[in-house]
Amino acid sequence: MTADASPAFEPHQLDEEEFLREVHSFSFWFEAVEGYLEGRPYGADPELADEPLDGDDRDRLITTLCNYCVGEVTALDASSGLVRLAPNHHSRIFLATQVADEARHVEVFLRRLDDLGVLDGEAEVRARANPRLEEFRRRVLEMVDRGDWEAAVFAQNVLLESMEDTVFRFHASIADPVTRQVLEGVIADERRHLGFGENDLGRRLARDPAGRERLATIRAELDPLVLGSFDGVYRDLGLSRADQPSLGRDYLAAVERLGLTT
Amino acid sequence: MSKATDEQTAPAEEQGNRPAAAYESVPGTVQPDEPGDGQAPRRTYELEDTGFREVPKRWRKFYRVWQGPGDSLAPNEIICPVCKVVIRSHREFRPGDRAYCMPCMSRMIVVRMPDGTLGAEVIYQ
Repeated sequence: MTADASPAFEPHQLDEEEFLREVHSFSFWFEAVEGYLEGRPYGADPELADEPLDGDDRDRLITTLCNYCVGEVTALDASSGLVRLAPNHHSRIFLATQVADEARHVEVFLRRLDDLGVLDGEAEVRARANPRLEEFRRRVLEMVDRGDWEAAVFAQNVLLESMEDTVFRFHASIADPVTRQVLEGVIADERRHLGFGENDLGRRLARDPAGRERLATIRAELDPLVLGSFDGVYRDLGLSRADQPSLGRDYLAAVERLGLTT
Repeated sequence: MSKATDEQTAPAEEQGNRPAAAYESVPGTVQPDEPGDGQAPRRTYELEDTGFREVPKRWRKFYRVWQGPGDSLAPNEIICPVCKVVIRSHREFRPGDRAYCMPCMSRMIVVRMPDGTLGAEVIYQ
């Protein structure tokens, strides 16, 4: 059944192929991002008053944003490489929208660093990057370079995106108003990315259950790098371990749905 | 939220629903009640836009943000297990129904959870 102009028609009535074509399309992406980014150049309403931050809070926020930049640059470089590896046009078109999303994320976080008085954002990101996140970046790009679609989609769209989603949600709940708006727009984008990753891998693993063992091994190698780096982000947000939300719960649920528990 | 009506009290067309025949060719989707299946007729709902902006306009009323503790699900709502958005339908959900989460592109089947509430299982195939 195809999309219908009837007011009672609902998305759950689309046939599966039509649903996939709709949600992977540029048109869907464009109308979606227009919905939540209109009037928010660089991720936030320019009329929104910025709260002054004291020295320590400002410094911690700069470190946090620098590490968000590392994650987003990783996703930008990896997703652009994945376009060439995409197995079909749905995935290729979707990944092109993800490339645009990730580039926007890098831009809005660098802009926020500008707002906070950082003179050379790129240098600051290099100086404050968590080494474990840098190592994760190196591993993901190796997967892309050797053409390993499944491993790279798992690392980027399931592991990294799930963890970012958790951390950004928590950060948005305690952030200053401008940072919160920037994060809300990023979170809305992340929903698509993590959904793409889980569903693509889910379809593949349903056809090739033996692939689970290989991905579970990759997961065991990468988990400490990402979980450890985001643990560091929580510390930078000024939280004690006891105050931290259950980091990774949603990620672990995704891993379980995909059958990648060891 | 959504306003409920009862299918027994008015013909489907009068409530803005599609005639039952239109559903029959889509296995797994929101299905009409089988005559004589022993279940009460499904309640139907008029959906309102709740401010969810992450999908194109025509699909927005079918999704809303889960507000966390204090929020609750109506019978025509389930939570997407992947991205935690609330998925909505014009009709009460029942186990076996198919639902789509457009914000994260997931397909799922409605299931009865051990605690008696409705949940969803993601389908990948």
